[in-house]
Amino acid sequence: MVVGFLVAAGLAAAPAVLPLFFVYLLALILVTGLLATSLNLVLGYGGLYQFHHGVFYGIGAYTAAVGITRLGWPAWLAFLAGPVAAAAAAMAIGFFCVRLSRLYFGMLQLSLGSLVWIVALRWYPVTGGDNGIHGIPLPAVLQTIPGAYALVACVVAASLAVLWAVVRSPFGLTLQAIRDNPQRAQVMGVDVRIHQLAAMVLAAFFAGVAGVLYVALERSVFPNMLFWVLSLEILVMCLLGGWFTFSGAMVGAAVLVGLRTLVGRYTEYWTLVLGVLLILLIFFLPEGIMGHLQRRWIWTRAPSPRPAAAGGTRG
Amino acid sequence: MDAGAVLGQLVVGLSRAMILFIVSAGLTLVLGVLRVPNVFHGSLYMVGAFVAWSVAEALGGHPSGLWLALAAAPLVTAGVGLVLERLLLSRLYHREHLMLILFTFGVMLVLNDLVKMLWGPTYRSLVPPPSLQGAVTVFGVALPRFNLVLLVAGPLVAVGLWLFAHRTRAGKVSRAAATDRDMVAALGVDVSRVFALAFAVGCFLAGLGGALVAPTTSITLGMDHSLLIDSFLIVIVGGLGNLWGALVGSLLFGVTQSVGLLVWPQFAIAFPYAVTAAVLLVRPTGLLRSAW
Amino acid sequence: MTDRRWWVLVAAVVAVSAVAGAGAAPALRFDRNIKVGVVDTYSGPPAVFATDALNGFKLALQEINRDGVHGARIEFVTRDEKFSPEIGLSMARELVLQERVDVLVGILNSATALAISAFAREQRVPAFVWIAKSEDITGAKGHRYVFSTTENTAMAGKALAEAVAKKGFTRFWLGAEDYEYGHRITNSFWRFMKRARPEATLLGQTWWRTGEPDLVPYLTQIQQARPQAVFFGTGGAGMANVLRTMKVIGFNVPTAIHTAIDVTVLRPLGAAAPEGVFGTTDYLFYYPDTPANRKFVQDFQAAYGAPPGFPAFHGYITAYFIAEGFRKARSLDRERFVDALEGLRIPTPVGEVEMRACDHQAVLPMIFGVTRRDPRFPFLVGGDLVTLPGRDVMPTCEDIETARRRAR
Repeated sequence: MVVGFLVAAGLAAAPAVLPLFFVYLLALILVTGLLATSLNLVLGYGGLYQFHHGVFYGIGAYTAAVGITRLGWPAWLAFLAGPVAAAAAAMAIGFFCVRLSRLYFGMLQLSLGSLVWIVALRWYPVTGGDNGIHGIPLPAVLQTIPGAYALVACVVAASLAVLWAVVRSPFGLTLQAIRDNPQRAQVMGVDVRIHQLAAMVLAAFFAGVAGVLYVALERSVFPNMLFWVLSLEILVMCLLGGWFTFSGAMVGAAVLVGLRTLVGRYTEYWTLVLGVLLILLIFFLPEGIMGHLQRRWIWTRAPSPRPAAAGGTRG
Repeated sequence: MDAGAVLGQLVVGLSRAMILFIVSAGLTLVLGVLRVPNVFHGSLYMVGAFVAWSVAEALGGHPSGLWLALAAAPLVTAGVGLVLERLLLSRLYHREHLMLILFTFGVMLVLNDLVKMLWGPTYRSLVPPPSLQGAVTVFGVALPRFNLVLLVAGPLVAVGLWLFAHRTRAGKVSRAAATDRDMVAALGVDVSRVFALAFAVGCFLAGLGGALVAPTTSITLGMDHSLLIDSFLIVIVGGLGNLWGALVGSLLFGVTQSVGLLVWPQFAIAFPYAVTAAVLLVRPTGLLRSAW
Repeated sequence: MTDRRWWVLVAAVVAVSAVAGAGAAPALRFDRNIKVGVVDTYSGPPAVFATDALNGFKLALQEINRDGVHGARIEFVTRDEKFSPEIGLSMARELVLQERVDVLVGILNSATALAISAFAREQRVPAFVWIAKSEDITGAKGHRYVFSTTENTAMAGKALAEAVAKKGFTRFWLGAEDYEYGHRITNSFWRFMKRARPEATLLGQTWWRTGEPDLVPYLTQIQQARPQAVFFGTGGAGMANVLRTMKVIGFNVPTAIHTAIDVTVLRPLGAAAPEGVFGTTDYLFYYPDTPANRKFVQDFQAAYGAPPGFPAFHGYITAYFIAEGFRKARSLDRERFVDALEGLRIPTPVGEVEMRACDHQAVLPMIFGVTRRDPRFPFLVGGDLVTLPGRDVMPTCEDIETARRRAR
């Protein structure tokens, strides 16, 4: 609780204290962190191999961008439409995917998500094709970095609060039970597929929120947001931070974005640094950064999941 | 659109499918026996291409330069894979898939930057020996002569792998380990040696694919990207660990893309994804039998 | 001398000195160096163009920094956007907010250029685009803070179309990479072709993904359709592949590609490049063979071991535009700098180049030619060269104004 308060205070003070570029960077980390946390809902808490979570992020962002620039919607409407569209997409894609398990779930989602990417890439009049859409007009208050940051910080904080509540709720606990042992959950009368689908839709909603926040911050959308490489990066953020913890995803996002921007200024081989870091992490901090920290200092009283069952039986 | 055009495009698609098969066979072997989703498989393909270029360059205009390069490159990638497996990967087999994805992703980043450091950012070109330059006309379509090598190499690799899997002791043990590794260990076989061999063979195939493709395209950073996703999709479509599945999947991908260009050029790049989605919806574990 | 005439003489001398003294400006010195941020693609096949441009830029800076601009040197930092507009935008933001650069330059990828241009307008930072050729950069999406020191797709399309129209082909096939530049150059070529030869017909078009490694199925399909001539709209990522594939399969259809005769494209391919391809470019190191050009090529070759291509030329003139812009503005203020650039003329190795005021487009000539072997070099060069002056191929200021108004 104390830590949470300190973090909140720090975030609120940031625009006054940090140079402008770092305020922007912090906002970007918050947006990416929200995206990663939404993935972790289905990945860490749900045990689903969501390999193409980025597609919901992209749909949220593109819906807002297309709404404002092509359909003339006011910003607030576009910002609401984004997450709703993402959730709807998750309903459609998820319906097909939850029938499969593990690697196959991930691969089907990858294929379907990539089809969305191709549509965005080819539909030049609407989506700007390979260019994306730039210079999206926004309300004046969002056109400054501190203004955009304020929106991002508030929305991210609220979203994380909702996600935290979901994870702690009966729904969240059922989801974790399904992750640990789907057969037992099924036998106990839990409709596994509905729960997994609901989790996907919820996760997609918040991914859409992250997408809309990206538009508020950068005023552009790019087809890369829908490409599988970004999805793999968000997955890595969750794993890096510790996918059995709630805050791990945000930490992972901070490390990745920070590394890319800050180390990228000194060397063009920042990906090498990241790669080495990941390899070291796996050997020395197998539960991810936050997972390790939490185990050292036993913050949470929630039972840690049994590692053997969580990933399915191995060998 | 006449039959000649379709047949011509079919042959072109076949040669591309052969490269996809060689690389995917390596991946399906690793996924089937070791259950490792090897994200750096594509990077080894790229390393194979660059090493082939370097060897061919070093040998200058020597006529057998290319063949030596084709032999050397896969050995290098197999070596790299073996070292990684013995030193690092073998300690992680008991971890979940997600951790293995993270590990292989990290190795991919390191390998990609090493390639950039060693060979620089500009692209390279490898010219085939004079006997294999130019094109032949097949069904009215101009097929690069070097692609004929691909059409021969693919089936050779397929036969070679089948012989390995069914006629050698190591291969049979690998197949057994893919199904039930505990049983194999209980029978007194050193499972870790089997894994090392299987991984090395998988990496060998990735490098071979890269070396074979090198004379037909620009050898450049980022060439691993599209191949990585294609080979994962093929392996899933064909059935994890299933060699014939990799062949079927590769043929499906290669041919639908090239013939698809005649039918619906705008969306030809969507075909691999559409095919995968269609297959998984109908047969959730892939077309042929999977190991797990 | 009488007293009165003496006083008249003294008064005249004093008057002349006063006027002379007022006319001579006080010696101006900038209080800090000029900082330039370079965003470009330094990974993958396009890197060869970006590196060429940076080399030209560096060569010019060596010359400029000998005397400096009002005592200030021009420094630069580079960032690799890896052919991704998203990364490019992020890098530009970092350069402006954190590195506090005065000017942004670079950019090969037309999509990145548009993204950074929108950012430059928002931040009011001048940006020079030195390779990306989309005509929208200075056309429909142009604005006060973006400048182009490269030819654009409107100029290239017109020059190439008019030259190819003279050859008498009527049945065409268009093939291109599916991104901003591919669309713009193909669109431009075709609309000028229809103007030059109204009876020209389009048999079909093929679009492939940018950087697609295996173009054999695409080219064989085009060959089977039997067009009289083909236009390829390939950019930095796909140029090498399309030329190599054409040679390997013996692509026997007359083909036109913009920049096909440039040395940055032809040199890495060496003997693998096809002959007989029509192309256009705005700079060649062997034509025109003027003393100024020869010296530029000599200096460049001595410094970088290879002759300069069009990117190097653009990088070179960008540096001089920046230097002369600040020199004329006599201030580091960005607004004054932008004002000074409009209509500015600078001397270059191939003559004077003007930065047109109405659209901030450098007025560059287009040279049309055909690829062929040359015994002097281990790579192909352009032959049968014909030059079109910049003014003849650029859209008029009225066209620009209309395009910008329509986009708003």
